[in-house]
Amino acid sequence: MSYSRTVGGVARRREPELAERVVVDESCHVFGRLSAPLEPDAVHRFVLGEDAGPRAMTEAEMRDELGDPFATRLLLDGVFPRTPAELFDALDEATDEDDQLRVQTSFLVGERSQLGFRPDLARVPRVLRFVVTRGDDAENGPDILVSASFPDQRRAFELMAWDTAHGGFNFYTTVGDDGAWVFAGNSRHALGPPTEGKGPFESHLSGSFIMKELRAPWINWHSPDANVLPSAFATDDPRRDHAWFTEKDPLGAATCEAAVARPAVTRWAKARFAAAVSPDGNFASPRRVLRQLLSTPTANLVTSHVESRKAVRDDAFDLPQTFFVDSESLTEILGLLPPPPFSGRGTIYAQALETFETRMEDGEGFVQPGDTHFAFLVPERAFEDLAVLRQALEVGLLSERLAATLLMTDFPNPIFSERREALLAYVPETATIEDGTSTFSQEFADAILGAAEDSPVASPEREFAELWTSGEDFVIPFSTLLKNYYEAVTAQLDTQEGFDAHYRLAETRRACARTLPIFGEFALLFARSNVEPATRRMRADGTVEEC
Amino acid sequence: MPVLAAFSPPAALPDAHADDWDARVRALLRPFAARFPQFYDPTVENTPAAAKKATIAWTAFPATLLRTATSQEGRWQRADASPRRAAQDEYCEWSVERNADGKLTSVTFTTELPEYWTHLADTDPDGLLSLYHELVSADVKRADLFDARGKYKPANKWNASTKGRLAHLIQRNNNLSAAVTLVAEATVLRERNGEPVTNKQDLVDCAALGDPFRNSDPQIAAAVNDAAAAGAELTLLDPVGLYIQGLQTTGITAPDGARPATFWKIERGDAKRILRARYSVPADRGYTVGDLKIGGRPLNFGAQLADRVVVKVTALVKPGNHRPRRQPCVA
Repeated sequence: MSYSRTVGGVARRREPELAERVVVDESCHVFGRLSAPLEPDAVHRFVLGEDAGPRAMTEAEMRDELGDPFATRLLLDGVFPRTPAELFDALDEATDEDDQLRVQTSFLVGERSQLGFRPDLARVPRVLRFVVTRGDDAENGPDILVSASFPDQRRAFELMAWDTAHGGFNFYTTVGDDGAWVFAGNSRHALGPPTEGKGPFESHLSGSFIMKELRAPWINWHSPDANVLPSAFATDDPRRDHAWFTEKDPLGAATCEAAVARPAVTRWAKARFAAAVSPDGNFASPRRVLRQLLSTPTANLVTSHVESRKAVRDDAFDLPQTFFVDSESLTEILGLLPPPPFSGRGTIYAQALETFETRMEDGEGFVQPGDTHFAFLVPERAFEDLAVLRQALEVGLLSERLAATLLMTDFPNPIFSERREALLAYVPETATIEDGTSTFSQEFADAILGAAEDSPVASPEREFAELWTSGEDFVIPFSTLLKNYYEAVTAQLDTQEGFDAHYRLAETRRACARTLPIFGEFALLFARSNVEPATRRMRADGTVEEC
Repeated sequence: MPVLAAFSPPAALPDAHADDWDARVRALLRPFAARFPQFYDPTVENTPAAAKKATIAWTAFPATLLRTATSQEGRWQRADASPRRAAQDEYCEWSVERNADGKLTSVTFTTELPEYWTHLADTDPDGLLSLYHELVSADVKRADLFDARGKYKPANKWNASTKGRLAHLIQRNNNLSAAVTLVAEATVLRERNGEPVTNKQDLVDCAALGDPFRNSDPQIAAAVNDAAAAGAELTLLDPVGLYIQGLQTTGITAPDGARPATFWKIERGDAKRILRARYSVPADRGYTVGDLKIGGRPLNFGAQLADRVVVKVTALVKPGNHRPRRQPCVA
């Protein structure tokens, strides 16, 4: 083992030189840009928005703030592993054989991981990286989650660990060639000023674990739907024979979704809501919750189950239903009519790819005609926002009627809906929950209804008001609206003109998604096309409005 | 590993007629080994120490249903109610038991090969009946299992539905013959219009290897094909068979906080090679499987567990110097 120990445990003094460094960059890239070396045998607190620069934490500070097993089992014992491999060795040494922290699982993800390794494609970045987890909590999943490209990586390997003392995940990263540790914040820092949206919370917007491609067929991940085979690595790449790859979870993303991502997101959502309700029933920042439901702060990605190369030859191929409707909210949570299987025709899809000059392009010379590995990759409502909806209903902050009416407003546009987002203007500043009930929903609805009277004819306020008249028996009338919409969409998909319009709408949503920090860093994530940038929205008749 | 002396029964189960099973498997592999240069019979050819095991795994829930479903409950219902388990096509089938209130009380999963149970019927019909009594129902009669000419009926009345306690695989694609055929044929490299065909759905289409939308076969084909492209030879690891790797229980919660993994009992095979397992709550706990929650939703369908049951097959990859030429698509 080669990790280092400090004499006497942990760093005990603050490093003035580092503490005085003023940081202007507050993005998640700031950690990679730190110029001066940090102390290798210390943990540095650098929570952007709170700390002007990285500073070594004292033992008392660490004991006070860091209640996760990485801190309690290693850091507080003076163990500072430099690489992921050292980290896992150290965890093994610090735990008994039957400790759940010995349970390790690895997953593999990489944009263009399906390209295969061919000499002529050797320079195309596959961005292969591993998610390695430790822990086996029956309900909540692993306690330690590591993201790294190489087992011996020193710079910028990221670690999240569940803080049993305070709730939420603690976010760590290594910095510099020495692999010095930085504590970058806890999930709760994602939720409000002065830390929200900064550092790791630029992409972990609500403080959750992120698995962008959360549902089958999990484009970019090793999974039963698309194996990442040994040929994805160069023949001399040592990772080919490393246990992270050879002993990775055989189901890959399928396991990561069910046993890591969803439990982790739900775990934080529950802890967050439990902490949000004070003993006297006041709910902290209801607006923060509604923002996740009415706007699109982040997104997941979803595709057809069919490879694009096959889809162009098929009579029909499935299209991701959440492109057309927020069925995860409206059907799975609120019980409204599920959509039919939406599908496109292969010939129509093939023509669209040609018309729009669809290609994979990295901006550095690599161009491959055609779509992503699986067809029709689009953003969809993020699972972390769905988890928040479930919790808001469960604690009684939102009524099902309000949730359904809000989400049915501009329902043909399940994400990036300016109309639905406009309703945020009416969110009451405060909310009180007593015995699982709250007047918040009625107050919110009243505020919108009050504004509707003086609003323009086609305003979102009026649309909400019209929907609100359905009362508590909203399921049938809302389902009828959906049924008519589903039929209209299905008819549109059957024509080249209709499909092309939906393709252009998809391009608009992809362009919106590219502006989200979570998606901005991967050049080969989405395909490129010649579709002109424009504002587009789906209408209830299945046609697309273009502004 | 030297030349394998004999093929073992699935999961190395004790079998007084193991020689007959060995002969049956040899007969199955022989024509493929003769026809495909990169597929070999380990009872004929040496398997060197450098050979690597390649485990290919998938979930028991049918991908073909997942692709066409638009709601979770809808797909679970369809899979649980599939007539003669026709939709359960991932080399793993299951059946459910419910109490008088309709609440789920147990789910039984199997990957047992119909060929093996036919072998049991041929070599030890009394033992077969005892096995049915032990695993399926004490009410099973010999006449239920055999036709008038004494031939075993794999899809007999006790083993032809998704209700009760099933015996072994019956779905038409879920058998050893299909798996061996797939592995052997997938050693052939393919090309279309001069371009290598390697993506799994595309490969299955090109080589006519079955349904490109199943979890299992396309994945097996792609993995085998990738190894074959490197010049290797392949076969299936002894004991040849399809196995359940386990049940993923994270996110399942019990009313009394019990660990949900403890409700999973292996009934045939061993921890590394599960052939049959049952998920049920011991009676003394005072609740049933239907009282558990999975991802926050009540556990109402066996298919919800099938989402988390891992099925596997293990291939042996023997390094080789083959220089296979890609063949054109056949479909």
